[in-house]
Amino acid sequence: MRSLFRLSGEGEGFVPPSSNDFELPPVFGDNAFTTKPILLVFLSVILVSVFFLLSSRKAAVVPSKLQFAGESIYSFVRNDLGRDIIGHEFMRFVPYLFTLFTFVLTNNIFGIVPFLQFPTMSRVSFPYVLAVFTFVVFHYVGIRKQGIVKYLKEIMFMPGVPKPVYILLTPIELATFFLVRPLTLSLRLFANMFAGHLLLLVFILGGEHLFQGVLGLKLISPFAFAFGIGLTFFEFMVQCLQAYIFTLLTALYIAGALADEH
Amino acid sequence: MTGTLNLVGYGLSAIGPAIATGMIFAAYISGVARQPEARSVLQPIAFLGFALAEALALFGLVLAFVL
Amino acid sequence: MAMKDEGNALWSIFGYLLSGMLFWGGVGYGLDKWLNQGYFLLVGLLLGIGAAIYLVWLRFGRE
Repeated sequence: MRSLFRLSGEGEGFVPPSSNDFELPPVFGDNAFTTKPILLVFLSVILVSVFFLLSSRKAAVVPSKLQFAGESIYSFVRNDLGRDIIGHEFMRFVPYLFTLFTFVLTNNIFGIVPFLQFPTMSRVSFPYVLAVFTFVVFHYVGIRKQGIVKYLKEIMFMPGVPKPVYILLTPIELATFFLVRPLTLSLRLFANMFAGHLLLLVFILGGEHLFQGVLGLKLISPFAFAFGIGLTFFEFMVQCLQAYIFTLLTALYIAGALADEH
Repeated sequence: MTGTLNLVGYGLSAIGPAIATGMIFAAYISGVARQPEARSVLQPIAFLGFALAEALALFGLVLAFVL
Repeated sequence: MAMKDEGNALWSIFGYLLSGMLFWGGVGYGLDKWLNQGYFLLVGLLLGIGAAIYLVWLRFGRE
């Protein structure tokens, strides 16, 4: 049961939510590949594919409701994230940005969908992999555009600085481009999802536990539940925002690698 | 209860840079809103102020984990 | 887009400060462990902050 749901009264007394709640045993079988987050990733891939296949199958000039929904998400990514930031070469990157945005958004929103209720990105390996994709894409684009020597030279050497200062500045530039950028990209997403899920667990499990107490505590528990519901809506906002920021930063990095001077 | 008091100290010390960043951008936004052409003058100042305030916050973060 | 320029700049500034502090602070920490001293870490952190703020000034501060 613990691999799918979490109740406050496991064992004896109140077990406060902790990082243990994110390490779920496998749903079936006895290996590391059938845990809930992995099943959710597969579910999200199926959901996203089915939704966009259905919404684009019968494309008409006067769109149906489904087609309109699909097209507004697509045009949001294409215009606001692709065209406005990357510039005239943006069409090459729209498929990647669009896949990234819908995938991260669906997996984030799983955190508040009833019965699923686990944001996949709160396991840190998933954001790591996504950040590695972005890392490879934006460096590859920059190297293809400018050649490896010129690209590295532009990253490492800031113009208009006396020579000895490069000893101080070049390691910082290298660390920023090759370590801190992918790391902050993935950790921002992970930390937001982790903290959000923990927050919801605290309020909802706390409310459940208070409800099992004496009469006075029973009276308090509705407030904890109400706060939990309010925070669920807040979480929805955070989840959309984080998917947006992840894609936005990817687009910005690609734009920076494409630009001739930065 | 277990844990380290360093993180409580870091939480307290992060209040300062947080307020500072807020004030810097409040002033920057109202400056640009009143006089949009002053933007190119104000922008470097705002960014440098942000960098200084943020440096203190990060300094506290590093020291909270190292000390 | 003007607003996105600023958002980009803010994340870059944060990245520069963080990596300056991590790199030179890491060097200082290593020297401390190696030479059994206690002050290289602080020197490294201050150096990293200084260099990172200088870099921010070079990139965003000058006209």
